[in-house]
Amino acid sequence: MKPEFTPDEIIATCISRRLRDGDIVVQGLSTPLTLAGYILAKCTHAPNLVLASAVGMAVTLDWKPLSLLYDEAMWLDRPLRRMNFPSICREILPTLEPREFLRPAQVDRRGHFNNVCIGDWHRPTLRLPGCGGIADITPIYRRVELYVPRHDPRVFVESVDFVSGVGYVPDRPRDWFLVSDLATFDLHEGRVRLLTVHPGVSLDDVQARTGFPLQVARPLGETEPPTAEELRLLREEIDPLGIRKLETVGGAARMQLLRDIIHRERQSQRRDSRPYPTTQ
Amino acid sequence: MTDKTCALAQAVAAIAPGSTVAIGGLMLHRRPMAAVRELVRARVGDLTVLGATLGLEADILVGAGLVQRVRTCYFGLEAFGLAPMFTRAASAGALEIVEETETSVACGLRATLARVGFIASPAWIGTDFLRVRPDVRTIADPYSGEVCVAFPAIVPDVALIHALEADPLGNAILGGNLAVDWELSLTARTVIVTAERVVPRLSAEADLLGQRVTHVVAAPHGAAPTSCHPLYPMDAQAILAYVEACQSDGFQSYLRAWLET
Repeated sequence: MKPEFTPDEIIATCISRRLRDGDIVVQGLSTPLTLAGYILAKCTHAPNLVLASAVGMAVTLDWKPLSLLYDEAMWLDRPLRRMNFPSICREILPTLEPREFLRPAQVDRRGHFNNVCIGDWHRPTLRLPGCGGIADITPIYRRVELYVPRHDPRVFVESVDFVSGVGYVPDRPRDWFLVSDLATFDLHEGRVRLLTVHPGVSLDDVQARTGFPLQVARPLGETEPPTAEELRLLREEIDPLGIRKLETVGGAARMQLLRDIIHRERQSQRRDSRPYPTTQ
Repeated sequence: MTDKTCALAQAVAAIAPGSTVAIGGLMLHRRPMAAVRELVRARVGDLTVLGATLGLEADILVGAGLVQRVRTCYFGLEAFGLAPMFTRAASAGALEIVEETETSVACGLRATLARVGFIASPAWIGTDFLRVRPDVRTIADPYSGEVCVAFPAIVPDVALIHALEADPLGNAILGGNLAVDWELSLTARTVIVTAERVVPRLSAEADLLGQRVTHVVAAPHGAAPTSCHPLYPMDAQAILAYVEACQSDGFQSYLRAWLET
């Protein structure tokens, strides 16, 4: 029998499998699901993965289980090298082009994406937090990698309301990849193309939740599901508190999950008299 | 002036209405919450709030009606979601937004440090940022001819920075999460450093030099409820309580209670 998995688990697994040993990866703002994927790679096929963070201001070879209360500790307790924010974005990013999985609020058929606002910028229906450094790296990187935790026609739109991440650039072929909770995609002839569907998902399911007509790879593949060992690592070693799941739920359910995680982490910290969890 | 120590109210009195106030720390880490609370008490308004990222501290300033303009690349509460008062005000068109990204902030501050008017970068090319920042110009690279963006120098009027330890000269230890505070401490005209403790001589290497620091204030627990690694972690329950209060239109009562702490 195939193991049962959740959307966060197949996304983390797809992120992990894209990475190669020795890669340097960057953890962005508020993206615990990517960190789970990076650590999964480090625990499986990429033990020499180098982790960097503009949040923790450091580059490190070590990891800790995902934490909400102590999220800086993984970066600051045993850093390979400490950096500050301008050094990371002006020196590390343009030169080393670290791998980074970015989460768009909207993505369109050209592969452009948006984290700035929904609606017209001058009169937005919803102001979003902003794009961090996405507008800085996507014009120059040879690789653009995205993830969408909840596949929805409001995310996959014909044309984004504001381009804060650059997708297709004519005459500049590059590796564009997206994984959602339903499927994986690439960019083919300047348009988003469905590459594989996750187990149990049909082409019609994906098209129904995508706001533009999809190009489909021939033959359409099926995403390799997480193995039992990958699931065990994610659930028991990397993220026992389930912080990665904050990205796949919304609204009241998300608030409840947040309360639960905070409660459980405070409980476990009380049991463990040390102020910070140990580094692996 | 060598001894820059003073009371928090005295330091905040140096901030004029309409100032560009740069906020130290990053995300929910080592934010100058004590200084922000004093700013709210003093009702210093019409502020431009600038930060590499902005979060709880700036959301409170927005909710308190003291902010006219924001300049940042991310305004949110990390795992705690959207910054509620910012999101409401910005979606209602009640705030002026000067779009920034990591590179525009970093280049802007580094241009000031280098005493040039801009630093060029290939960032933003192909995005919509230039459309909404008509003040930012592109130039041709004089060597290759490539078009790049000339990110203008940024000079904050004020920097608010919280440290673990500071001496009376303003030399300070930041505890690892350095954020953009080095650049802020050298570019702002008024630099207010609050610290968990003020000591005659620092116990370890300084992360900030005191030369441009104008005020040093002892403010124990002055970053809470954000973290002050490694002295204390973020107070997640307090941040959650803020979000829940705002969701049920309770910002004003939250603010009153917070000002009394």
